[in-house]
Amino acid sequence: MRAYLLRRLFQAIPLLLGISALTFLLLQLAPGDFLNTMAENPGISAETLEAMRHRFGLDRPWYAQYALYLENLFLRLDFGESFSRHQPVFTVLREGVGNTLLLAGAAAIVTWGLAIPLGVWAAARQHRWADRVLSLAAFVWLSIPEVLSGLLLLLLAARTGWFPVGGMHSLDWETLGPVGKALDLLRHLALPALVVGLVPLAGRMRQMRGSLLDVLHLDYVTAARAKGLDEGTVIFKHALRNALNPLITLFGYTLGSLVSGAFVAEIIFSWPGLGRITLDALLSQDQYLVMGAVLMASAVLIAGNLVADLLLALADPRISHA
Amino acid sequence: MYGGRRNLRHAALAAGLCLCLVGCGAPAHGPASARRDPYPLPPDTMTVAAPEVGSYGGRFVIAQTSAPKTFNAIMSNEQSSTDVNNLMFASLTSYDNYEQVDRPQLAKSWAVSPDGLTWTFHLRRGARFSDGHPITADDVRFSFEVMYDDSLHPSGQDLLKVGGRQFEVTAPDSYTVVIRIPGRYAMTLPACSAVRIMPRHVLEPAFRRGRFASAYHLGTAPESLVTSGAWRLRQYADHEKVVLERNPYWFGVDTKGQRLPYLDQVVFLIVPDQNTAALKFMSGDVDGVDVVKPEDYKTYADGAARGHYTLYEIGPSLTTNFLWFNLNRWKDSKGGHRAGEPCVGRVKYAWFSDPRFRRAVSLALDRGAMIRGPFFGSAIKNWSMLTAANRVWYDPEVKGADYDPEAARRQLRELGFKDRNGDGILEDAGGHAVSFTLKANSNNEIRIAMDNLIKDDLAHVGIRCTPVQEDFNALVSNLRSDFDYDAMSLGLGVGVPSDPGMYQNFLRSSGATHYWNMRQARPENPVEAAFDRLIEANIGTLEMPVRQRTYRQIQKLLNDQCLVVWLPVQIIRLPVRNGFGNLRPTVLTHRLLWNIDRVFVRSRQRPA
Repeated sequence: MRAYLLRRLFQAIPLLLGISALTFLLLQLAPGDFLNTMAENPGISAETLEAMRHRFGLDRPWYAQYALYLENLFLRLDFGESFSRHQPVFTVLREGVGNTLLLAGAAAIVTWGLAIPLGVWAAARQHRWADRVLSLAAFVWLSIPEVLSGLLLLLLAARTGWFPVGGMHSLDWETLGPVGKALDLLRHLALPALVVGLVPLAGRMRQMRGSLLDVLHLDYVTAARAKGLDEGTVIFKHALRNALNPLITLFGYTLGSLVSGAFVAEIIFSWPGLGRITLDALLSQDQYLVMGAVLMASAVLIAGNLVADLLLALADPRISHA
Repeated sequence: MYGGRRNLRHAALAAGLCLCLVGCGAPAHGPASARRDPYPLPPDTMTVAAPEVGSYGGRFVIAQTSAPKTFNAIMSNEQSSTDVNNLMFASLTSYDNYEQVDRPQLAKSWAVSPDGLTWTFHLRRGARFSDGHPITADDVRFSFEVMYDDSLHPSGQDLLKVGGRQFEVTAPDSYTVVIRIPGRYAMTLPACSAVRIMPRHVLEPAFRRGRFASAYHLGTAPESLVTSGAWRLRQYADHEKVVLERNPYWFGVDTKGQRLPYLDQVVFLIVPDQNTAALKFMSGDVDGVDVVKPEDYKTYADGAARGHYTLYEIGPSLTTNFLWFNLNRWKDSKGGHRAGEPCVGRVKYAWFSDPRFRRAVSLALDRGAMIRGPFFGSAIKNWSMLTAANRVWYDPEVKGADYDPEAARRQLRELGFKDRNGDGILEDAGGHAVSFTLKANSNNEIRIAMDNLIKDDLAHVGIRCTPVQEDFNALVSNLRSDFDYDAMSLGLGVGVPSDPGMYQNFLRSSGATHYWNMRQARPENPVEAAFDRLIEANIGTLEMPVRQRTYRQIQKLLNDQCLVVWLPVQIIRLPVRNGFGNLRPTVLTHRLLWNIDRVFVRSRQRPA
């Protein structure tokens, strides 16, 4: 198991290297650089711009810049400094990553907390109206783009005042007690988590339904029913555990898609996560901040996949990574 | 940028005013709204004249669409940072956005020598930083030293030079700063007030170690961020909010001698875009928004009574809109072209370089239709760099070539343009169809809509104009490195004060924002030489009549030559929640917060 883990971690290194090279190349190919906006200020002279370009190392050829970046990354574990904020990239991203994971985690609870029971219910009521209505509703929601559903919910929040209009904390958050703080955070988390979490719901629900139906046709289930066990025990005690296997694999992969889904929701709901930092950095061409954010997001995705494989081994004794 | 116009008479006036104000600084505490002030007032308070004496408490929340990048006032060079830092760091002088005049700040008065070269600033005694440490002439000298540092090269440095030479800053005693400038310079006061006063006792070690740029970054603990202005940092939550609280040592007082600011807090709520800002405002989380699109004016106006807010009309914007033709020539012989060749090719250069052609284009444009369309009626025609919002420099007599399609057609005929093949498009004498592209940035909806109207207007006189939209960064590359465009439309605005001197790089033939023909090694023609001469004369004097005359000549030259074709400017309206006293929105930045030190919450029962 340990050998497997180490192997997977080593495999991640060339992958991250490739991602960083590609990101750097794309940033170089994109027109202009960090000083573009400043260049349009009539109060700033050409000499000042040149001095700044030199200070940021932007006057060097791109391969020299990339080599220096890799050197700092591997020898000193230094992700570089943000041009605009004069702060180490890692410091800038640290808090954002935590907030993004919080949102993705809440979204995962929404997805799985709904997908498993609804999928089981649909399977138990196969081809009856409950099954059909659920499928229809899930697919209607699936076909609404995240941006639209996000904006609709935001509008609802603004019109009704039931939920805050974006953000992560109320203005008076600091003055609240621990319970108040938790409730306030939940209130802010509800809508974005719903938007992110409901997107993969339809798919996961159908998978749960299909997987359970497959198992329900197996001989041991018939045997259990023949013994006279009630339907609830048959489904939850005997069938469900086996039916969950493929979904556990999916769980890890969904984690990845939830993180990328969170990027869009963060921008709509002013959630202070990695997505907003990345967008800001991209728009202002804050080179090393973009690099750091992309690497960080990739690392989260790779970790998600690894978790999926490990969970599978834990849940099913027949699978071993030895 | 922050500061003021400078000329002898005004300086003397302001100094006189300041002396009278200092005399009014009584130490007495206010009656009903009295608040226990833990720190004694300094001997030299700064009395701020505001319409009303306010009461303490409350906060003002403003939505900001971009997060600040640093709390280092000297290293900040974009709006989202300067908006915050200008409240936290004081300068020698400040600017009254409403009256558009200079006011004393850390300097209680100043004097200029008869030759205009020596400026003596007298500092307030007893002024203190937010940690209680005295602010002295040494801090001012230190701040200038940082501004002049070559490895840091802060963007404000450009203004602080005359003919490439630095000012000489000395501190003969703790409360006097003497600044000697190398030549007469109209921008001396704005340049000096652009220098935010930083605490030497905190930042000098970082400066000496070459770490000044990263000092006072966003992660700085609020208690170690020592400020010189009316406000200090209470909390920063990344991409969420900046909370400022009053600096308990601030030297500003109201006419009753009560220490300012009145408000407990100013909060910048960071939102992703203007739409979220609008929603936050409508839901009551935000008290004011400082940027509103004209298409939203009606929605805001309709909801004003119900939402307990007022939509203030504060006049025309200071940001101009215009288009120009690419007259740049290649500087060297790289990439398959010869040095000195026009970037647009000889055929188009022949059209674009003729002032009569540019004039015909200007005559063809129906600006009234632009005002009614993209601006929803909230705009006015403009013919100058400094719009009607500018109380000091605006000249209503200055007019450009306005809509007259018949005159445009006549002009084009005189140039020998004729529709030779009957396709509705004119051809020049060589048979080339008169056709060009007009580029703009894709994230400005108003500009794109204007460009489409321009296309139609030009089609009516027989010119084919194709609007093209690009990402801003791609546009800037076209604009400054590959010169791959025929014509471009952009907007231009400068900070405070809005003074011709702030447009030096736009007007000078060698300037980096002299868009139509940038960074000329020497002026290419007599017109370009005239621009150089006029702007030099304009900033090289302190005599206001001379400056006004030369500025008028600059405007006339720009309009006669039609080097920029002016388009309408937006009329600004801003929504602000009711119940804030002394609040006075202005067109100059910061539109809402420029006088926030004297704003107060009028009624305790504020509507939600």
